[in-house]
Amino acid sequence: MVEAEKVDSIEFKWGKKRGVGGKKKDIQFYESFFYDGVDYTLYDSVYMYKEGETEPYIGKLIKIWENADKTKKVKVLWFFRPREISYYLGDEKTHMNELFLASGEGVGNANVNPLEAIAGKCNVVCISKDSRNPQPSDEELQEADFVFYRAFDVGNCRILDKIDEKIAGIEAKFLLNRVGNQNSSGAPKLDSNMKEVSGNAVATDDTRILAKKESYLGDKAASSSGVQFDEVAKTNERQVLVEEKLKAAKAYGDLDDRSYKLRPDLTKDPHETINALSEKPKPDEKLANGKFPEASLRHPSEEGSDTNYYKIQEPIQRPETDRSKWFRGLPWEERMQTAHEQGTLVLLQNLDPSYTSAEVEDIIWQAFKKSCTAKMIQRTARSSPHYGQAFVIFQKREVAEMAVAKLDEVCLMLSNGRPLVGSIAAACFPGKQSTFFGHLTINKLRIHMQREMKEAVSTSHCSQPNTLEYDMAMEWCLLQERSDLALRKLRQQQGQELRKLRATLKSK
Amino acid sequence: MDMTLVEKANYDGMCFWTEKLGMSNLFRFWMYVYRLSVPSYMDSTSTAETDYAVFLEKVKRTVYIDNLSPQVTESVVRTALGQFGTVKNVQFIPNYTGPKNIPCCALVEMECPRQAKAVVLEITQFPFMMSGMPRPVRAFRAEEEMFDDRPIKPGRRIQCRWVDRKDPDFEVASKIKHLVRKHAAEDLFLLQQQLAQEEKLAKQQDETLKANYKKFSIIDNVVSDGTAPGLAKLYNMKVFDA
Repeated sequence: MVEAEKVDSIEFKWGKKRGVGGKKKDIQFYESFFYDGVDYTLYDSVYMYKEGETEPYIGKLIKIWENADKTKKVKVLWFFRPREISYYLGDEKTHMNELFLASGEGVGNANVNPLEAIAGKCNVVCISKDSRNPQPSDEELQEADFVFYRAFDVGNCRILDKIDEKIAGIEAKFLLNRVGNQNSSGAPKLDSNMKEVSGNAVATDDTRILAKKESYLGDKAASSSGVQFDEVAKTNERQVLVEEKLKAAKAYGDLDDRSYKLRPDLTKDPHETINALSEKPKPDEKLANGKFPEASLRHPSEEGSDTNYYKIQEPIQRPETDRSKWFRGLPWEERMQTAHEQGTLVLLQNLDPSYTSAEVEDIIWQAFKKSCTAKMIQRTARSSPHYGQAFVIFQKREVAEMAVAKLDEVCLMLSNGRPLVGSIAAACFPGKQSTFFGHLTINKLRIHMQREMKEAVSTSHCSQPNTLEYDMAMEWCLLQERSDLALRKLRQQQGQELRKLRATLKSK
Repeated sequence: MDMTLVEKANYDGMCFWTEKLGMSNLFRFWMYVYRLSVPSYMDSTSTAETDYAVFLEKVKRTVYIDNLSPQVTESVVRTALGQFGTVKNVQFIPNYTGPKNIPCCALVEMECPRQAKAVVLEITQFPFMMSGMPRPVRAFRAEEEMFDDRPIKPGRRIQCRWVDRKDPDFEVASKIKHLVRKHAAEDLFLLQQQLAQEEKLAKQQDETLKANYKKFSIIDNVVSDGTAPGLAKLYNMKVFDA
């Protein structure tokens, strides 16, 4: 056979024998062998190369044998690279060259492969602070290609910080660093080794490629895909995206650069090409409620004394009896709606944005001696940083109207110069919005989509740069930036106006 | 001219407050004052501080998401952001003021600040789309004022007073009120302008998309129903098999 001949041309020699086994006692186990210029011993870490992958897999030889039909096999216990289990790692930090030992029960732990799949020896040092593990010296760490101290359980799909006693029938002591020096000299310098291998593979040596194609690593791929690519389809896409990027980024056989780029850094170009816009809106002089305090009769201030204008009242806690806690059960929105209908809803503006609802209630109590329930309006990206707003529900309509009228005619000045502005709220309640700009559908599919949308759970994704939607998304981003710029300018201007006026306040 | 609490404990102040509040309330007031001035010994203020600290911690790990379509539901958000970590809570911010057709926003609480940072980083680097294309969502770190159920910042005192006509500040105060209203109107105007622009862009993209779709479907049809291969044979050309 052509295959056998070609394989023979690669140097191979069995080393120390270990024992025999198998049903007919015809399987010979070995402890070491010499292959393609490198000495391998049991429990060495090796590279396993798969056609098409830019990075080889790394595993530990845990069994070496020759079958009766002279085929040589090795059983390999796998190491996971962080990117292969990134889903389970989450956002935990990993070393640059950290690996995770496979452990536990399940698919993906270890595989049997033909010996010829080995692509080279690898120096993996265990840096676990485990008592069973001889700690590596500094030189060993320097020379190490990879390190590991954690394991990944393929059964439960979890990261384990401690190495189990036995993994795949092998005791832990064989998996950790071995007593005595690591034969780092045995592992030739990485790139030269790989170049050899790559040279061989690239050469029109069809048979070698054929030997590799014996789907030996199909096991591993299937298992790892079972482990990673489950529920969320999005993860799948993203993994593919990341792996593709890694492939694209790495040159063939370039193993010196082992930096795992989990987040390829694409910058958004449109952001840099935005021209400064001088889009200043000219606001109409239309005011929503342009009520000026009329020159009408002056209400005497609550204190009743004319002499002391600068009496400052501290917020007094409302007496507990008034606080009807047992009505808090109703969700705010319902109460707002009923209040709106009854006319007891008031919108307060020009609060300090950092006030809380309870403080607003205290202020109202203190100013009007009326209890109410208040809720600060949550700040969004669009809200002004200069003001806070709140909705207040009074007990009775007359109270609400009285409060608003009073706030209009006489100023209630809060600390740092903020006169409170109140108005009967014209709240709009979010109903079923049908107009949202920006999501496009093709007409035929529209009816389909609506039904699906209601049940949809995972409909989100990151857009890739080679699609049409990416360009469209960029246009939206551009528009967003423009709007943001305009908003920022407006806020600046408003801030200036406010500051100017506040500065003219006689008292602070 | 601010009178601090301590000054207020003057005799005349006492008289005034007694008259205003009555003895029982005055007593309550003093209890409140006492609590404020001796923070380290009282339980209530220390719980307020711990509450606030807990709240601040929560803020650190929450993400604010904007530009959401109204069709996005909580489960969509959960699944979408679930890939960055564990989503603890999703709260949509309702829109009670303002026009009806602005995009929605939500606060998503993650498990730790690092996850929140990862979410924001990812969404700002790549256009992330939820429940529709192609408008991407925006994400920021959350801020305290975005939460409406926040606890009071411990140690803050608000003072307020009535300012009436006789007060020299009255004019300025009413000018400020006027300004506040004007700013609110300006905001609304700007918002409406931006909505108009968004609508324009959406329409534009829609037309482009439809045109492209038509083009591709025509090409598709022509190839599939045999016209293209037939013509190709006629003119002795090869059909481009893409």
